[in-house]
Amino acid sequence: MATYLEFIQQNEERDGVRFSWNVWPSSRLEATRMVVPLACLLTPLKERPDLPPVQYEPVLCSRPTCKAVLNPLCQVDYRAKLWACNFCFQRNQFPPAYAGISEVNQPAELMPQFSTIEYVIQRGAPSPLIFLYVVDTCLEEDDLQALKESLQMSLSLLPPDALVGLITFGRMVQVHELSCEGISKSYVFRGTKDLTAKQIQDMLGLTKPAMPMQPVRPAQPQERPSVSSRFLQPIHKIDMNLTDLLGELQRDPWPVPQGKRPLRSTGVALSIAVGLLEGTFPNTGARIMLFTGGPPTQGPGMVVGDELKVPIRSWHDIEKDNARFMKKATKHYEMLANRTAANGHCIDIYACALDQTGLLEMKCCPNLTGGYMVMGDSFNTSLFKQTFQRIFSKDFNGNFRMAFGATLEVKTSRELKVAGAIGPCVSLNVKGPCVSENELGVGGTSQWKICGLDPTTTLGIYFEVVNQHNAPIPQGGRGAIQVVTHYQHSSTQRRIRVTTVARNWADVQSQLKHIEAAFDQEAAAVLMARLGVFRTESEEGPDVLRWLDRQLIRLCQKFGQYNKEDPMSFRLSDSFSLYPQFMFHLRRSPFLQVFNNSPDESSYYRHHFARQDLTQSLIMIQPILYSYSFHGPPEPVLLDSSSILADRILLMDTFFQIVIYLGETIAQWRKAGYQDMPEYENFKHLLQAPLDDAQEILQARFPMPRYIHTEHGGSQARFLLSKVNPSQTHNNLYAWGQVSNCQEFEEGPGYFFKMLLLN
Amino acid sequence: MTCCRKSQPSELEMAELYVKPGNTERSWNDPPQFSYGLQIQAGGPKHSPLTKRVAAPQDGSPRVPTSETSPGCPPSRTEPMDSPVVESETLLEDVLRPLGQALEDCRGHIKKQVCDDISRRLALLQEQWAGGKLSTPVKKRMALLVQVLSSHQWDAADDIHRSLMVDHVTEVSQWMVGVKRLIAVKRSLFSEEEANEEKSIITAEQNQTVPGVQHDL
Repeated sequence: MATYLEFIQQNEERDGVRFSWNVWPSSRLEATRMVVPLACLLTPLKERPDLPPVQYEPVLCSRPTCKAVLNPLCQVDYRAKLWACNFCFQRNQFPPAYAGISEVNQPAELMPQFSTIEYVIQRGAPSPLIFLYVVDTCLEEDDLQALKESLQMSLSLLPPDALVGLITFGRMVQVHELSCEGISKSYVFRGTKDLTAKQIQDMLGLTKPAMPMQPVRPAQPQERPSVSSRFLQPIHKIDMNLTDLLGELQRDPWPVPQGKRPLRSTGVALSIAVGLLEGTFPNTGARIMLFTGGPPTQGPGMVVGDELKVPIRSWHDIEKDNARFMKKATKHYEMLANRTAANGHCIDIYACALDQTGLLEMKCCPNLTGGYMVMGDSFNTSLFKQTFQRIFSKDFNGNFRMAFGATLEVKTSRELKVAGAIGPCVSLNVKGPCVSENELGVGGTSQWKICGLDPTTTLGIYFEVVNQHNAPIPQGGRGAIQVVTHYQHSSTQRRIRVTTVARNWADVQSQLKHIEAAFDQEAAAVLMARLGVFRTESEEGPDVLRWLDRQLIRLCQKFGQYNKEDPMSFRLSDSFSLYPQFMFHLRRSPFLQVFNNSPDESSYYRHHFARQDLTQSLIMIQPILYSYSFHGPPEPVLLDSSSILADRILLMDTFFQIVIYLGETIAQWRKAGYQDMPEYENFKHLLQAPLDDAQEILQARFPMPRYIHTEHGGSQARFLLSKVNPSQTHNNLYAWGQVSNCQEFEEGPGYFFKMLLLN
Repeated sequence: MTCCRKSQPSELEMAELYVKPGNTERSWNDPPQFSYGLQIQAGGPKHSPLTKRVAAPQDGSPRVPTSETSPGCPPSRTEPMDSPVVESETLLEDVLRPLGQALEDCRGHIKKQVCDDISRRLALLQEQWAGGKLSTPVKKRMALLVQVLSSHQWDAADDIHRSLMVDHVTEVSQWMVGVKRLIAVKRSLFSEEEANEEKSIITAEQNQTVPGVQHDL
């Protein structure tokens, strides 16, 4: 078992891939009986400091319906200078540049350690990155000031040749013309009327066709005609003027009467931003960054009216079909999101307010384009300021981590097809021999577009085994998939990342143990969770839970050992031991339970869940709990109320929150001030240890988590208590009336298990 | 090409690795604020250090808690204390003079408007400093900035300007962009001069007379 864990880990580190099953069932029928589909979590741009990119173009298979990239799985005839594609078996001639290759002189892409390899493409002129700020001015004075400062600060973090633009909005929408001459002009639009892309472009005077990407004189730096750059200027020219312009921004001047909300035209503002970029810089990396301090209250995309006494929709309202604006608003933003994705741009939403801001309706904007969603209470908080700074974080080479305009293509060997993908992407509707008719996630295609991504962006890709039952195992015994990701690196270079991986086929009847041992329960849990969250878009909550429970029962029936009469005899092998626990915590998680969260909060949690890598996703499903004590080094403990002890400090990481909880005795000692006495220095260290570990997490994570420091009896302790499973409240199945320190009537996994087995 | 090597972090540089509490008035459970220096150290997203889990017992029974120690007082042990840090004054002149000089050096080479803009912002810096509106860390960092700028360490100067913008944006935003532009202009001017120097050295070498060969003037 240890060797499989190592194998899984090595593969993840090298290729950024985690499969639910690492030995593949060789027939379609058997694969469906395995319950958890064959699928993988893929991080296309996984950070690989040890992988220098190669400076040439990839060699492709010549068959037009294949075009797979030369990879270590291909058979090569060095003498005849031929290679056989491992996907379609076509024999291809090596290009002339490969004349000198031999067994002892292999090109990198044929070496097994380069199962993942990156190519730098030299075609075309590099195009600059573009950042278009869309700023809500209906904010409190403090908030607006803090936001202005963050935006001014960001000008110092952007590369000097990046283009930047500014649109402000409130009741009206203002598109600012950026110029180095003294006087600043802006174009004002009414916030109530939506305009087509063409109308926007006409009104902004952008009717000239866009400059082609290739410059006429390649040696010269890229020049833009003046007409398209009035609104988007390079930082190195405009930073001083833009700093002043931002500094002078005022709150929206329209007075807000008592009992009313400010009139906020987010829908039109976003529409104008999308239209502006569409007309000037299509198909190049750009971020539309929307900063908003409240819900849209007028025009297309409005989410609530301006009367404060009519609250913004809750889940209850939605269930009762009482959300007046929801459908129409969602449609408006979906239309914008799809257009933006088609243009290769992404939309970020930074929503900071104490009440909801309409993230439910606007979520498709970041979700379809790969943009970020950040939710905070105010722009004047450390959470917003630092999360925003981290967008501009750099890698070991001093380049931004963010990347743009990615197209991801999946190829499979004949026995497999692609059923779909779940993640921050849109379908490119590319049909082909690899595409399955059954859809899981965004299906019907073997190519997707991710307009904004970074080294942690992870897609879930779902497969279907199509080999017929009793058909012989394919020659060579291995199936393969290849993922080809074209993208724009933040240095503006175009790059191609190619990952080719293979796994053994096995006959389920005769090799079940083998297949079991190669089960990756962590990947399986996250992949099933993504399917569950995907279903919540179109199904009712209870139905999704029922589906999840059914899958767990079927899995346990297939892979568990038990005596039918005796629930206590149930056992799962080691490679499945954590899986039921994951499912237990998943069904209570904010991803599948909307209780106690607003629609905006649920959208926020689901947004992050659908794009994080495996480790972070698991933390979200089942938070990490570590215990600190005098008895030894910090150790992981069960996420269970029995882990809460008086002489322990607990650190809980839910991804969105870091909670430090002092047990009763520790809290008393701290109150008594022992940490300040020199002879109790080690108590001071004990108090500090979880703070240091928390700091490591807080320093790096995007988005920045909330930080809760609490103790036994503290009101904030509820964050811990609601997550731990309440094993100590129900000693038997009939004690329903007990009042516990956790949610009432909550059942633990022990009870859950018993209920499963009785089915 | 100048190389910026950061020597052993000075007391001054280390002072900028701080953590402030978050804004608990405006939001609930706001996380602490890390200085720019600390965030850069973190090196970006990596796997959480705490990732292990414990499997639930398969028989479904709750775990019996281990016995707890009596709450008298914690176990004790002593360790030496840290020594205090001494601070010194930073003078306005030490910062403004080199910046003013740098601007003068660039005056003929950039547009008048840009020059005036930078000059205006330096005047604002002076006004705020003299008026006591700038905090000690800002003054210290500015002193360090002009120091590295004078020794042509452009990347280091840029980094310090960024750290000031991130950590002290409220104090510096109005004039810092002028300093940023000054660094950029000085840098490009310097590389131009170096390039010209190299060119003239090469032409001088090419024009060197070889004994015995006549050479037209």
